[in-house]
Amino acid sequence: MSLFDKFQNTAVLYKSLLESTGRDPFGVSMDEMRGPTRAIVEGKEIVLAGTNNYLGMTYHDDAVTAAKDAIDSDGTGTTGSRFANGTYAAHRQLEEDLAAFLGFKHCMVFSTGYQANLGAISALAAPPHDVILIDADCHACIYDGCQLSGAETIRFRHNDPESLDKRLSRLGDDVKGKLVCFEGMYSMFGDTAPVKELVEVAHKHGAMALLDEAHSFGVYGDSGRGVCEAQGVQGDVDFYSGTFSKSLASIGGFVASNHPELEYLRFSSRPYMFTASPSPANVAAASAALAKISSDGSMRQSLWDNARRIHAAFTQLGFDLCAEAGPVIAAKLANKEEAFVAWNFLMENGVYVNLAIPPGTPNATSILRLSVSAAHTAEDLDIVVNAYTALAAILAKETVSA
Amino acid sequence: MSGIQEDDDLVFHKISSLLEPLNDKGIKLTRETDLIADLEIDSVSVLDIVMDIEDNYDISIPVNTISEIKTIGELVDAIHAIKKEQS
Repeated sequence: MSLFDKFQNTAVLYKSLLESTGRDPFGVSMDEMRGPTRAIVEGKEIVLAGTNNYLGMTYHDDAVTAAKDAIDSDGTGTTGSRFANGTYAAHRQLEEDLAAFLGFKHCMVFSTGYQANLGAISALAAPPHDVILIDADCHACIYDGCQLSGAETIRFRHNDPESLDKRLSRLGDDVKGKLVCFEGMYSMFGDTAPVKELVEVAHKHGAMALLDEAHSFGVYGDSGRGVCEAQGVQGDVDFYSGTFSKSLASIGGFVASNHPELEYLRFSSRPYMFTASPSPANVAAASAALAKISSDGSMRQSLWDNARRIHAAFTQLGFDLCAEAGPVIAAKLANKEEAFVAWNFLMENGVYVNLAIPPGTPNATSILRLSVSAAHTAEDLDIVVNAYTALAAILAKETVSA
Repeated sequence: MSGIQEDDDLVFHKISSLLEPLNDKGIKLTRETDLIADLEIDSVSVLDIVMDIEDNYDISIPVNTISEIKTIGELVDAIHAIKKEQS
C-alpha cells in the first residue's frame, strides 16, 4: 500500500468535491463535440469556455482539409522519433515556416508543447556548472525541464526583473551557463510578462533568455508573434518556445532561435529523440493554421473583441479578475470550496470553464479560468455572461448571509 | 544542532513567523515539524516561503535543495549552510 499513501490527501479532496455535486471538475467528458465552442456533456449542449482554442481554428476548413489530405498521402502516424524515421518533409517545412513567421533562423518541432520546453531546457542546461532561473509562476513543463536537466534551479519573483537581477548577481564565479525562463502570457491568470526588461537583465548578466509564448502566440502583437512582438523585442530572446495546441489548433510544439547551436538539440534532447514525432495530420493542421494566421488577422480581431466584451461584463458584475482583458479571463473566488460550487453552478447553467486550485495556481488562489475563443458567437457569449450574472447574484447572497 | 538553542535561533524564528499565517491547525512549530505532512502546506507554497527567506537573507536557495527538505529543522540547516557558502 505504501506506494499509494502519498495520494491520500488529494484523493480525499477529490472525493469530497465529487460527493458534494456528483461531478468531477477534472474528469469532464466531452461526449460529443459540436464545433469549436459547443459539446454535449451529460446529455446537454454546453458552451465551451475553457479550451485554449483562442483563434477557434480546430474546425477551420483549411486545417481540416490539410489534415485529411496528409493522412491520405503520409498515413496516420510516423511510428518513429524525429531522430530516426519520424522526420518527413512536412516536419522540416513546418520548422522553416515557423522560423520565417517568427523571424528566427532556426526552429525545431517537438511532439507536444510540454516536450518542447522539457526538451530545450533539459538539453541546454547541465549540472554541475549551469544554472537555470525561472519565473515563480512558470508552467509545470518548465519546472519539469529543470528537473530533467538536473541543473541548479532558482526561482525569481513573478514578473519581477529586479528579483531576477538580484538572483543573477548572487551567482558564484564557478557558474558557466545561465538560462532564464519565463512566459509571454501566464496561462492561469492571463497576465503578461515584462519581456523587454527581463531579457535586458538576463543579457546584462551574460544569461540566455528562453521565452515560452504557448498561450500568447497568434494572439498578442500586431501580427500574432506574441508578447515579445507587442513589446518590440521579438528578435532579442535567445529561445522562443510555443505549442500547436492553442492557436495552431493541433498538437505539437516548437523552439525557435537565432543561435545555430539550436541544431545540437537534435542529438542531445531526450524528449525530442525518444518519442514519436507528431503525426502527419497534426503537422498539416498546424501548417495550415499558421498559413491562415500569417495572412489573416480577422480571427485575432474577433478574439480581442470577445475578450473585451467578457472582461467588461465580468468587471461590471463585480468579479475579482486576475488581469487586464485578454484571451484568459480568470476570476478569483474565496477558497477551493466556493470555487468548486461556482464551477459546478456554471456547468449547471450550460458553461464549461476551468476550475483551478492550489498548487496549480499562483499565490494559493482558487479561480474560475475562462479562455475566450475567436469562434465564440454572440449567442455563446450571451450564455456565458448570463451564467456569470446568475453566479454573481448567488455569491453576493452568500456573502450577505455569511 | 551544534549547541544552537531553538529559541536563540533567529533563522528558526524567522521561518516560524513566515509559516505562522499558514499554520491553520495552530500546531506548535518545532525543528521536527514537517512542512507538508504536519502543516499541510502545498509544495508551491513552500517554494513561496523560501523566496521570502531568500530575500530576507540575500541568498539563493535552489529548488533542487528545497525539494529534499521535509522539516523546519532541515530548512534552517540548509539556510545556515547556504549563508556560509554564499557569504
